[in-house]
Amino acid sequence: MPLDTSTYNLALLRVDGRRWNELRQQKGQLGVQPSADGSAYLEMGNTKIQCIITGPNERDTKSTSSASTAPTSGGLGATVAVSIMIAPFATVDRKRRGRNDKRLQEMQTTIASGLAATVQGQSYGPRSTIHISLNVLSQDGSLLACLINAASLALVDAGVPMTDYLVACTAGSTSSYAAADEEADPLLDLNTQEEQELPFLTLATLGATDKVVAMLTRLEGMMATAADGCKGVRDFLDGVVRDKGELMVQEGAIGRGEVVSSMDLD
Amino acid sequence: MTSLKRSLESEQDSANFSSKVYVRSTKSGKVQKIVREVYLRQDIPCSSKICSKCRNTAPANAAGVVSPFVLSDKPAGTKEYPQGHYLVPDTNALLNAMDLFEQSTAFYDVIILQTVLEELRNRSLPLYNRLIGLTKSEDKRFYVFFNEFRLETYVTREEGESINDRNDRAVRRAVQWYNSHLAQTKSKKLPTVVMLTDDRGNIEKAQAEKTPATRLRDYVGGLENGERLLDMIAESQEKGISRDKKAGDFLYPEHFSLSKMMTGVKNGMLHQGIFNRGSIKVPAFPKALIVLGRDNINRAVDGDVVVVEVLPKDQWKEPSTKIIEEETVTKNENADGDEGEDLVTEKERRALQEEVKKTHSTSTEGRAQPTAKVVGVIKRNWRQYVGHVDQSSVSQSAKQGRKQESVFLVPMDKKIPKIRIRTRQAGELLGKRILVTIDSWDRDSRHPIGHFVRSLGELETKAAETEALLLEYDVQYRPFPKTVLDCLPKEGHDWKVPASTDDPGWRGREDLRPLLICSIDPVGCQDIDDALHARPLPNGNYEVGVHIADVSHFVKPSNAMDHEASIRGTTVYLVDKRIDMLPMLLGTDLCSLKPYVERYAFSTLWELNPDADIVNVRFTKSVIKSREAFSYEQAQLRIDDASQQDELTQGMRTLLMLSKKLKQKRMDAGALSLSSPEVKVQMESETSDPIDVKTKELLDTNSLVEEFMLLANISVADKIYQSFPQTAILRRHGAPPKTNFDELSNQLKIKRGLELRCDSSRALADSLDACTDPKEPFFNTLIRIMATRCMMSAEYFCAGTQAYPEFRHYGLASEIYTHFTSPIRRYADLVAHRQLAAAIDYEPMHPAVRSRGKLEAVCKNINVRHRNAQLAGRASIAYYVGQALKGRVADEEGFVMKIFSNGFVVLVPRFGIESVIRLRDLAEPEPESTFDAENYVLKTSGSRELSVELFQKVVVRISDAKDEATGKRGAKMVLVKVIG
Repeated sequence: MPLDTSTYNLALLRVDGRRWNELRQQKGQLGVQPSADGSAYLEMGNTKIQCIITGPNERDTKSTSSASTAPTSGGLGATVAVSIMIAPFATVDRKRRGRNDKRLQEMQTTIASGLAATVQGQSYGPRSTIHISLNVLSQDGSLLACLINAASLALVDAGVPMTDYLVACTAGSTSSYAAADEEADPLLDLNTQEEQELPFLTLATLGATDKVVAMLTRLEGMMATAADGCKGVRDFLDGVVRDKGELMVQEGAIGRGEVVSSMDLD
Repeated sequence: MTSLKRSLESEQDSANFSSKVYVRSTKSGKVQKIVREVYLRQDIPCSSKICSKCRNTAPANAAGVVSPFVLSDKPAGTKEYPQGHYLVPDTNALLNAMDLFEQSTAFYDVIILQTVLEELRNRSLPLYNRLIGLTKSEDKRFYVFFNEFRLETYVTREEGESINDRNDRAVRRAVQWYNSHLAQTKSKKLPTVVMLTDDRGNIEKAQAEKTPATRLRDYVGGLENGERLLDMIAESQEKGISRDKKAGDFLYPEHFSLSKMMTGVKNGMLHQGIFNRGSIKVPAFPKALIVLGRDNINRAVDGDVVVVEVLPKDQWKEPSTKIIEEETVTKNENADGDEGEDLVTEKERRALQEEVKKTHSTSTEGRAQPTAKVVGVIKRNWRQYVGHVDQSSVSQSAKQGRKQESVFLVPMDKKIPKIRIRTRQAGELLGKRILVTIDSWDRDSRHPIGHFVRSLGELETKAAETEALLLEYDVQYRPFPKTVLDCLPKEGHDWKVPASTDDPGWRGREDLRPLLICSIDPVGCQDIDDALHARPLPNGNYEVGVHIADVSHFVKPSNAMDHEASIRGTTVYLVDKRIDMLPMLLGTDLCSLKPYVERYAFSTLWELNPDADIVNVRFTKSVIKSREAFSYEQAQLRIDDASQQDELTQGMRTLLMLSKKLKQKRMDAGALSLSSPEVKVQMESETSDPIDVKTKELLDTNSLVEEFMLLANISVADKIYQSFPQTAILRRHGAPPKTNFDELSNQLKIKRGLELRCDSSRALADSLDACTDPKEPFFNTLIRIMATRCMMSAEYFCAGTQAYPEFRHYGLASEIYTHFTSPIRRYADLVAHRQLAAAIDYEPMHPAVRSRGKLEAVCKNINVRHRNAQLAGRASIAYYVGQALKGRVADEEGFVMKIFSNGFVVLVPRFGIESVIRLRDLAEPEPESTFDAENYVLKTSGSRELSVELFQKVVVRISDAKDEATGKRGAKMVLVKVIG
């Protein structure tokens, strides 16, 4: 039994040695699946996600039966369909999950409606669908946040127009509400152990802006921390995209002038 | 495109990132591989005040506050380290000598490494918690250094290296880093960082690496009061290597492995439960299993969570009619071992479980009862024990010399076996009350091994015995810490109810100052919880008010004072001492409803009709002014004095009249009037030495106060349950199982032809009333005392945890009940006050009083505290009765309460004591006897001819004697004659 989150106050160090406001190590890659229309791979700590984009293509009700869908541009644009698959080997105990897992469905709906707000789908027309398949390869906390980030990255790879990255991050608190410890520190980017022991929330923001309305007293601290984390994630994703762009220029896949116009998202 | 796997792997081994991979097995026996990230960093400070470099990089929390540095810049030096030193104990040092680290004379400036902390947590959670407590105390200067997260001190486990070796290496690495790190500060007086360990291998390696290290014993020996401190090191681990003994040396069977026990419990072959007084209650069977004999008990100590196996039927025991003495219990009963054991097949063992159930469900008469043996201990519940050194175990030479030797400690608690301790001060410890802890109990040692913690003082001195009592019953008796006192009102004793009614303190309060309120309490009562008033209303009804001290105004939820009070749970009353739940200032002054001054109160106001039926009831916070504080006697005199016709006295007469009606109603509903032999110790006023013992007298005014308190409690219980059906704090008293009364009703039937019915509390109350003996007025009380012992104990609970019918208070015959009337001395009442305040919309409900989980924990704690307080109070009376009897011899009447084939128990109501008289005490040589178990008659012949039967009146000669076993002074009884 290693230490748990209660030791945080001893030295302001979390169970994995991070400070309260530090993200985990992140790794990202674009175009990991050449046969797909767009793809990305993202790691936040030991949470590892692969995202594949298919489409936009004509709507096919059969293939979206298990996915959650949301229309973009107020119903005038393409539909975003999100489906999540958690690999049986992603958790400590190997287990298969049914497609009707309510928690998965909730996450799918959240991601779909979140992305629908940022994807500029009107250029494809209302009868087309963008399929986003998220494969969870390894799970270690902040799952929803990581799924959203991976989807953003893959959409960039697919060249789907978006207003900005949709980025997400979790934040927790070192003390529960009942303990009424007003001095409790907010924590950024929780791993599984912290998620199991502490209260936390997942926050998604649109790129560099953080249009978040603060609410309750201590929640405010957590939200501010998460919003900061989102900015960090956004910078990271942006870096990944730009590196990829550089690489493509070097390999001569795209001419220099073209790169700047299509990759400049700011 | 590069493959996914390879491209990422190359980045993996950056310098500041590592991962921890380990394998663990779950309760269900699955093996899991856990991978955790580890972020290595360089901004973890050394926390020494001489280091300025770390100060610049010290981390801040979210609020930007940097924690202050802990380790002193001028640490204490020793002969070996004249420049001063910081200590770095390894895990074994903490495991063996946690008591040392808690000393106030030495062990300052200690660095606790994360490696050590983790290891300690795995080995012993209580010790871990104590260590965390130490790190929080400011004056001890304990610093937790997270060496596993610091880049320079992180150590990866090498191939073939055991985890212990790796951890030892991590500790040495941290010590080396500390020393080189501090050397960079160029401080003139550079403290040495020293590793403290008991592990020989570790010391040798440290010396080879030139890491400063010392053995715990050498270090302690070098300290000023080393010899005393040396005793406090636990015995066990040190000689670990030389202890390879042959199997024949083992006195006890080996405990099963945890997984074996778990499997056994799961498939119903073994049973888990708490070992308690030689028996164990397990969920599978309706009655407790008996565990007899040293081998079968197999090193279980009272309170441990153990796993037992049912013994074959030929080893079951018939219920004994003998007084079992300690010697016989611990006698080696099946020395032959259990060879036949393994031949028992699975099927037979299954059948055995069924057999147990069958035997338990039939009556106990004369049939062999199932016995069991302990096969393993899941969790030790060892605490610190108070006792005295067994004189016979101390050698003569030790009384002068300083030689270390083993002595036996005899605990005060008879359920605990003797504890072997090693000490150099045996001579000094003789005749003292001392506190020890148990360290271990190995298979090759007949007794558990412990070590000395501290001496409480001479045996039989008031101070030592009182403290021993408080420790034994786990009563928190230390003075309130500063954080608690900080929560008190700043005005102190000058605090007054604000004169202006616009003051925020008056918000929502009713001004009840004009009412003629008075309080009635025992003589000398300082913490006055309650006051009463009554006045006639124009419509012929009466207004009656019960006013309770408004403690919740002063004790706000979740502050330090509230926390302390919730831990203490109750005020403990000893004969000469009171251990308060709340600081004196509140308990005896600001909250106490003293006469002639204005006080905040929480009032319950009823309109009662002349038959004492409730017309309506309301609750309000108020301000009152008590007109007089009566003692029960004074109040009684005033009521009885017909010349007193003032309004206050009239009010009291009204109260008395109504209370008699209330009592009658309660009795009609089936409330029990139970009894326990209560006595009061009279003290000499100057020296507070006990001089006499009196039985308590009960006046009408006692029952006056009691009735209205019950009424208030019931009304409040109703109200808070209506408002908070899930979280209301209530008190219930379960109906006793019928079997509890089997024996008593059988005894009554045979001896007196009386019938005891117990199908309802009403029936029981009626049949108890009928149990009288015209010649012997005390007989009824005796039966009540015995019936009381068959009852369950009442308990606090949270409304949501029980179904409504279970709320019933059996003894009071009330559907619902709570405690509301004594918030100064009971925490439950304080919680009820807060809930009631929320129920009448006086203030919003604090989350702590709303969370069911928290309330359940509170209930659990106060139930235990309540029980302990009662036991401590009784033990205190017993001690003083013993002291009062000292040097006296008295012939007193007594009654036979229990009868065995080799003796009987006599209760002496005058002193409220009971004692065993054995046959061998009757005459020398021991008389022959015949015991008629059916009729409860014991006849003796030979050296003394007697016939003793149950409930018989006898005369005994009481003298005091010191019980050698427990070191307590108690009454010794000798039979003088049998009456009738």
